[in-house]
Amino acid sequence: MAHQVLASPSMKVRVMPPMLRGFLWAGIAFLLTNSLVASIRPDVGHPFVNEVSITIGWVAALTGWLLGVGAYEGVVLPLFGVTPRIGQATDWRRYFAFATDHKVVGIQYLASSAAAFILAGSIAMAMRIELASPTIYFFHYSDQYLAAVGVHGTIMMFAVATVALVGGMGNYMVPLMIGAKNTVFPRLSGLGHWLIPAGVLTVAMSPLLGYWTTGWRGYEPLGSQDPSGIIFYYLGVAAMALSSTIVSLNMVTTIVFNRAPGLTWPRLPMYVWGVLTVSILNLIWLPEIQMTFILELLDRLVPLNLFNAAGQPLAELELFWLFGHPEVYIIVVPGFALWNEIIPVMAQKSLFGRSWAVIGLIFVMMLSGMVWAHHMFTNMRNSEILPFAFFTEMISIPTGFGYMAAIGTLWQSRYRLTTPGLLVLMSMFNFLLGGISGVYLADPPVNLQVHDTMFIVAHFHYTIIGGMIFTWIAATYYWLPKISGRLYSEFWGKFLSIWIFIAFNTAFSTMFLVGLEGMNRWVPAYPPYLHPLNLVISLAAWALGTGFVLHAVHIVWAWRKGPPAPDNPWNGRTLEWLTSSPPPPNNFAEVPIIDESFYVYGDAVKPAARNWDRLKPS
Amino acid sequence: MDLVIFGVVWIILSVLAEWGFNHIRANTMYYLISNEGTIAHHAFNFLTTVLTPIFLFVIWYLIFAAIRFHAKSPDAKPSPRQSTKNGLFTTVWITGAIVVNVLFWLHPTAADMEQIFASQLPSKNRHDLIVDVTARQWEWIFSYPQYHLTQTVNAAGQDELVIPVHRKVEFRLRSYDPFHTYDIEAGVIHSFWIPAFGLKEDVIPGETRYEYIVATHTASYYTNPEVRVQCAEVCGPGHPWMEAPLKIVTARQFKAWIRHQQLLEHVVST
Ligand code: HEM
Ligand SMILES: [Cu+2]
Ligand SMILES: [Cu+2]
Repeated sequence: MAHQVLASPSMKVRVMPPMLRGFLWAGIAFLLTNSLVASIRPDVGHPFVNEVSITIGWVAALTGWLLGVGAYEGVVLPLFGVTPRIGQATDWRRYFAFATDHKVVGIQYLASSAAAFILAGSIAMAMRIELASPTIYFFHYSDQYLAAVGVHGTIMMFAVATVALVGGMGNYMVPLMIGAKNTVFPRLSGLGHWLIPAGVLTVAMSPLLGYWTTGWRGYEPLGSQDPSGIIFYYLGVAAMALSSTIVSLNMVTTIVFNRAPGLTWPRLPMYVWGVLTVSILNLIWLPEIQMTFILELLDRLVPLNLFNAAGQPLAELELFWLFGHPEVYIIVVPGFALWNEIIPVMAQKSLFGRSWAVIGLIFVMMLSGMVWAHHMFTNMRNSEILPFAFFTEMISIPTGFGYMAAIGTLWQSRYRLTTPGLLVLMSMFNFLLGGISGVYLADPPVNLQVHDTMFIVAHFHYTIIGGMIFTWIAATYYWLPKISGRLYSEFWGKFLSIWIFIAFNTAFSTMFLVGLEGMNRWVPAYPPYLHPLNLVISLAAWALGTGFVLHAVHIVWAWRKGPPAPDNPWNGRTLEWLTSSPPPPNNFAEVPIIDESFYVYGDAVKPAARNWDRLKPS
Repeated sequence: MDLVIFGVVWIILSVLAEWGFNHIRANTMYYLISNEGTIAHHAFNFLTTVLTPIFLFVIWYLIFAAIRFHAKSPDAKPSPRQSTKNGLFTTVWITGAIVVNVLFWLHPTAADMEQIFASQLPSKNRHDLIVDVTARQWEWIFSYPQYHLTQTVNAAGQDELVIPVHRKVEFRLRSYDPFHTYDIEAGVIHSFWIPAFGLKEDVIPGETRYEYIVATHTASYYTNPEVRVQCAEVCGPGHPWMEAPLKIVTARQFKAWIRHQQLLEHVVST
């Protein structure tokens, strides 16, 4: 740990930059292991880099990467009782190495997620260039386009949507919001982050091994006949899912054991409820999907014939969606929670129907495991359809509770329409369209028409971009003063938010129409009658991509150069606002003692923590 | 006051929207010409009719709140009104949500599924036209066992599906590759979709599946491209082009077409 260290890199000890060392060790480990496996593999004449050697070599490379980036000093040496020669940096360098401070880890996750978003977003831009014309002209072959779809979807899901609001914002904010000084498993958590860049790079490099065509669901038996690139999809997902599992383990444990005195369950902040419920979902379902992908990998390498006509192709679909549906709530539940975190602060008004909002999160969590087969109405016996349609329709009831609380809070409030305040309303607008289109999808006869068409693609982008990405941006503006100690520009914040709102809705509402008009998914070419609408989508999608990049530029600018922010610019009541901006290494000068609700406003309310005036470092 | 303004505008918006919707309800799902497509289309319109006021309630509320409730100055003053409960609102919201969702499950979902089950009862399927549909990478192959036709094609040599209007068709769906050189069981999942019919069914290697449909109009791919067979489940690089033209013809035209195909395949001679 930091205090036992003899020297730190900022002092005059020459050390290699940890990420560089990680790359180097990964490369060496891969080369050695790959050669070893290739040389002992029995069949003669196989290539030097083959599917088996690359799988085992990848595991070695991942280990080398983790050790090189700092696990060697941070985890391995202390495990053997050796005090490392170098410790964690305290300057900017700490963001580029293994770290144990939950705030550093949170920022690492946020940065990795943002980078993954830009990467996978650029791939989406390439896809939209292709779809601006009915014939294939931008990609050379159809399989390149399909690999692009797969890489885009996989990175977006496992490195952005699942990560940004849990591993990122969650790691940073949850300990602060519950008055903890650190998380329960700081080292594990520090290690976990570095699985994300490894996983993203693995998936991004998958086309080098051959253009795989299954998309992010890896349907079998197509997967087992695809080129080897799909191996990097299995492995990359394994790394990223492991990272989120670690985050969830750490979050659940921290929330259960590290709450400040007086922070009882009924007082738990909304966002913490959100992170808790998704973390439980993650702990249940991520191991399930990892196991499934390991089976698929073995099915391919051995081969086992689990999922082809000799086995059971549908088993892969069932196993995938068993995870796949909870995944969509994993994405959006922190978003729901954040709406009701930000709205009361912006309105300076007590949260309406708080217990209903929490019950909503919990019921969504529980029901989400009972609806997976609505992704497979085209694969079911008629008798199986009814119960799944039932649960799917019922899940909109608890989902609505979040809206009910937000609407009640907004009523006759004095709502400060700041950038985060505006983005929350926009996100509620967008998610409503996503949710309403979901009601149509839950009805099997309608579903059988629009399933596997661009209607579905529009639906899930409405829920994911509309519900999660918009809220992520809102949360970033909301907490930017806390994290960076600086303010952003309200003008640019709002201008860019309106920009992405218009571009997003133009692109994706038109996508509903092309779906209804008969455009299927996973196609780089389509019948010419669909061309005009697709052109509209492509142009708007490009405007949207540009808007996202400009938001990123603005946020980075504010982070580095924005005007200094007061400690509590919104007059929020949750604990993170009671410490300095940015918070010191151990968060609070003393442990907060809670004896008021965080969600009650009015003229006579007292701060939530009894010792609120002593929490800030002097 | 706020309540009155909000409510009145909401009602006006809902009425206008329903009125507007009535003008486009015939085309909301573009072009559907089958018995099951009609069911889907009715369900779609029913859902829209019920959802429109609900949808507008929230959308209009968000806009209303942004206009009417936004603070004129950025400083942190508590809202004048503070409340955390409103029994009436909560009760109406929650009961409303339960009622609407149970309604949707009963109608359209359960009621429509009942009709779809009924349309597929075996006893009613005696004189159906049987079409064997084989999905391979990447081609749809149609054979008509009742007429001893193994692969029907059009003048350009493309696989072609032709069915008579108003007659029940039983599609038998299989995924394998009859032309594979050594492993005809090597198949992947495809999805048999005719956009103009309004439903699709996945085709799974190792399984035989049945789909029953009655076309309600004559139509042709050459006049409306939604009248086509399209693979809807990704099945490899050839997936985008895994489509086949479809024609729905009268009983007489169908007979003539069958005869022509039989000549081509030498099932009969002139
Ligand atoms: C930046 C704007 C975006 C655009 C223009 C865009 C566009 C697209 C397109 C054209 C497809 C292919 C659809 C198909 O043929 O099946 C797609 C698929 C997908 N996208 Fe996006 N996307 C965007 C952002 C996102 C985000 C933010 C996420 C999630 C965080 C996401 C998740 C997915 C997923 C999961 C798929 C399915 C991939 C598959 O079928 O395997 N996308 N997107
Ligand atoms: Cu689902
Ligand atoms: Cu296909």
